[in-house]
Amino acid sequence: MNYEFPDNLKYTKTHEWVRLEDKTATVGITDFAQHQLGDIVYIELPEKGANLERQSSAGEIESVKAVGELLMPLSGRIIEVNSTLVENPELVNSSPFSSGWMLKLEYTNELEINDLLSVEDYKRIAEEEN
Amino acid sequence: MVDFAGFSMPVQYDSIIKEHEAVRSKAGVFDVSHMGEFLLEGEDVIDFLQYVMINDLNLLEPSKGQYSCMCFDNGTVVDDLVYYEENPNKFRMIVNAGNVEKDFQWLNEHIGSRDVKITNLSSVRSRLAFQGPKSDEYLQPLVDVDLNSINRFYFAHGNLNKAPIFIARTGYTGERGFELSIDNVYAEKTWSDLIQTGASPAGLGARDSLRLEATYSLYGHEINDSITPVEAGLFWLVKPKEGIEYIGKKILMEQKTHGTERIIVGLNLLERGIIRENFKIFKENVEIGYVTSGGYSPTLKKTIGLGLINKQYKEIGTTLEIQVRNKNLKGTVVSTPFFRNV
Repeated sequence: MNYEFPDNLKYTKTHEWVRLEDKTATVGITDFAQHQLGDIVYIELPEKGANLERQSSAGEIESVKAVGELLMPLSGRIIEVNSTLVENPELVNSSPFSSGWMLKLEYTNELEINDLLSVEDYKRIAEEEN
Repeated sequence: MVDFAGFSMPVQYDSIIKEHEAVRSKAGVFDVSHMGEFLLEGEDVIDFLQYVMINDLNLLEPSKGQYSCMCFDNGTVVDDLVYYEENPNKFRMIVNAGNVEKDFQWLNEHIGSRDVKITNLSSVRSRLAFQGPKSDEYLQPLVDVDLNSINRFYFAHGNLNKAPIFIARTGYTGERGFELSIDNVYAEKTWSDLIQTGASPAGLGARDSLRLEATYSLYGHEINDSITPVEAGLFWLVKPKEGIEYIGKKILMEQKTHGTERIIVGLNLLERGIIRENFKIFKENVEIGYVTSGGYSPTLKKTIGLGLINKQYKEIGTTLEIQVRNKNLKGTVVSTPFFRNV
């Protein structure tokens, strides 16, 4: 597979990537996920300040052919959303791990981090689904 | 690749939007070999088609094609298709992939005592669509037919780099272009010859977004065995054909004269979001219909759709609500086609 799998990130089996920083996490969808969705044309993200549980819906990602959901990889409070995606949703296709990031959250349960996947584990899941 | 009527079909080669834009700006090649192809031969072919089709064969002449529907007695649609008159005793017919067997059976069941023989060429011939503003320019050097001599909806036989080919000036994209049919042995070579002209390969995804912008009905969506052509807005297809009986005529002529309770309209969203097939449509919390096709328009850069709704809401500018998963988004009835260059 010719997809990118940065090894400094954590992953979920629902194709989110997570960049952990001190008490916060930046979240987006993986290169594999954007390939599966195809051309992304519309993204809806949560309100800043919202408190959301792990695995609850944090947004909708509409592509020409399908709709995907962004799920919270960790429980927490939304501290920032990438508002440039409103006008430029295609950034998720062109650079899913950098300018295509979707939200930043302040996580509330450190233990949940243990359930995130390593790059090797996520790669295996993506390969199976491909 | 997806399974489509038993064929493994590419939804996209690269990006649906890029393929869509290639067809609108230069040319694209679609492999539509999944569609069916029949040859109808015999003394009574015209008489037979007048009986099973709702369009009028008197408008046809040799070397010309015609879009039509064949309907059930109640006016709903068996299939929509194009047939081409090779000569008064020989017609070529292109039908929807998912309906090949049903159509073949339906046609044969209604021949009666007429002299008509139907041959199913679907698996021995391949079909390609070559569509876009540059399709003439790109195709001409490859073929020994003067493409200028083929008017819209007409066809010719010729050779494409020595491969005998059927070339019709028809299409499903809203652009000028051609639909081609060739023997399977020449299919792969012809595909690569066409790609080398500068045209882009285009998949099922772009085919759908292009036809939706152009507002061409898709069987299973705008028309099917529970929607009539009049409800689908194809009332111009329903011909009076004085003195000729055809299947579905009574109810379709009645609907054409008096209108129907439901009608397909064009839809735009006034809020951000995408509408898709089967989403429910409401007016002041009362359900009034559903989306038959919907999606993102790469040309207009906004959400477009078609919906089957109660006729009292069909006026252009009527506001309504479309249920997108857990919320209702505001939409409006708009005129169609959304976009066409032909």
